[in-house]
Amino acid sequence: MLKESVRPARAVSLEAVSGRLKKNGGLDRIAKRTLQVINIAFYYLVILSLTFVFLYPLLYMLSKSMMQAQDVADATVQWIPKAISFHNYSLAWRSLNFWGGFANSAIISFGSAVLQIISCSLVGYGFARYRFPGYTFCFVLLLFTFLVPPQTIVVPLYLFFSDLGWINTHLPFVVPSMFGHGLKGALFVLIFIQFYRRMPNVLEEAARIDGAGPFRTYWQIMFPLAKPAMLTVFLFSVVWHWNDSFEPNTFLTTPNFYNLSQRLAMFYGTNNQAAETMSQMTSGSIGMAPTGLNQVMAGCILTILPILILYLFVQRHFVESVERSGIAGE
Amino acid sequence: MKKSKLSMRARYYIEGYSFISLWLIGFLLFMAIPLGRSLYYSFHKLQVSQHGLIASFVGGDHYRAAFTTDVNFLPLLKDTMVSMLTQVPLILIFSLFCAILLNRKLVGKTFFRGIFFLPVIIASGAILSKLMDQGAANLPIFYNENLYNKLNAFIPGDLLETLLQYAESLTLVMWDSGVQILIFLAGLQTISVTLYEAAKCDGATAWESFWKITFPMIMPMMLVNTLFSIVSSFTKADNQMMTHILNVVFKTNDFGYGSAMGWIYFVIIFLILGLVFLLFRKSLSTTEGRK
Repeated sequence: MLKESVRPARAVSLEAVSGRLKKNGGLDRIAKRTLQVINIAFYYLVILSLTFVFLYPLLYMLSKSMMQAQDVADATVQWIPKAISFHNYSLAWRSLNFWGGFANSAIISFGSAVLQIISCSLVGYGFARYRFPGYTFCFVLLLFTFLVPPQTIVVPLYLFFSDLGWINTHLPFVVPSMFGHGLKGALFVLIFIQFYRRMPNVLEEAARIDGAGPFRTYWQIMFPLAKPAMLTVFLFSVVWHWNDSFEPNTFLTTPNFYNLSQRLAMFYGTNNQAAETMSQMTSGSIGMAPTGLNQVMAGCILTILPILILYLFVQRHFVESVERSGIAGE
Repeated sequence: MKKSKLSMRARYYIEGYSFISLWLIGFLLFMAIPLGRSLYYSFHKLQVSQHGLIASFVGGDHYRAAFTTDVNFLPLLKDTMVSMLTQVPLILIFSLFCAILLNRKLVGKTFFRGIFFLPVIIASGAILSKLMDQGAANLPIFYNENLYNKLNAFIPGDLLETLLQYAESLTLVMWDSGVQILIFLAGLQTISVTLYEAAKCDGATAWESFWKITFPMIMPMMLVNTLFSIVSSFTKADNQMMTHILNVVFKTNDFGYGSAMGWIYFVIIFLILGLVFLLFRKSLSTTEGRK
């Protein structure tokens, strides 16, 4: 009884609603559409402005490094120099002693990166696939390693390495990497652990049934499959070693062994003098930019150029591989 | 029968140990022994002589000195803490924001992602300090004096000053948030789309589904990022504390005092990280329950 009385009322209301929808349908759609367009436009505006914020320092460095002294002093020149010159680059190149610094940086970062890939992957596989007495303890030790600040152990490490005669060599960087340590080594082990945990066991089981030992299984089956994780670790390791200045400042103490970023840090002082002597040499130079700003900027560009090029090549794969290698952890 | 099973297990254990043995040796050489030695040094006075280092026990003198006689240590410690406390929340918010932006469908996705991770590549201590010398590490809008005067009419000066300081540090924050964006982005992509669809069917707005779905689901990455940001803010190269310790150790050759400062620093970081774990434990356990 009650139900029947309800039903017609509902039908009427539904009809009314659909009628209203039909009447206003066109207008609603237009309003909705414009709202959507505004939404998307706003979204792109935000993302483009953020892109500019991210690019700003790079653009700044590029623009300033191409300017000559008169452009810097000229208030009308904001971004694009009147005459593009690469003079600053050749000056910076010489005062950085680029090849020397580059060789040191490259040996440290690429050498350590390759060794860290090999060792951290091995250790990560062990942590991901095996459970043994003391497993949790070892895992906690791994996390602990990540958290210990280098300041705390820098003194004993320095004394240790200097006893071995390793100061001013590349060994303090390369040898810890061999053992899965070194700069942020624990983090890389964690990345590999995450990656191997997600891999199915089937392949290994098949290999084991076919008679391969554990290390052969690892080396021939699992290691080649870990390419996404390897790429992530490789890029991070190269970049962090390249940019690090704490360990190089500790273990590389004579200018001959300085890497690029150390040389760049030294750059400012010497560069000031160079600018002064230059402005003394060029007569009537009052009002010229007093600092060697453009050379410093050119030096910055030169320092990051190698990894920037590397990044350009691997960037596309890098983002994908981070998603797949599960750096985020669970 | 039983014996062979045991030996199988033993072999399995041995395999496991041999995989991580490399790391364990490294841990002993490059972490455990140095840590122990540095603790030992921190209670001793070290003197360089012909027979190597001579250590004489001084007890807690170095620790006392750090808090009483060293004029640099406490202010530097305070600065490091303050910059950590202000920057880490900003880094988290900013990187989550960027990750959400990047996670949407957009034209030129790879291009934008490439740009957003650029700070990971460029953010080196040496270059950052050069840029800061020039004032180029900050955006010109923020430290413009006109902005201060204009806004002063609406906002009281004290508040405005801190606000502007925040805005100014935003660019520095941006330099430190590359890895965090990456981690958040990877986390966002593990959230299944069906959850959002279901929420939409139930009439949830985007705002609601952010707080009810995205935020709880991203909590583990939030913990990872918080830890990572704290650790990296304490150990990054332009950290004043790092340079101070290096100066003490290598300019004055005061190895004992340097170790003591390192240990104080270490203990403080550990306390802070422990606090973070405690704070996150509750929210993490609720997300675990929801799964």
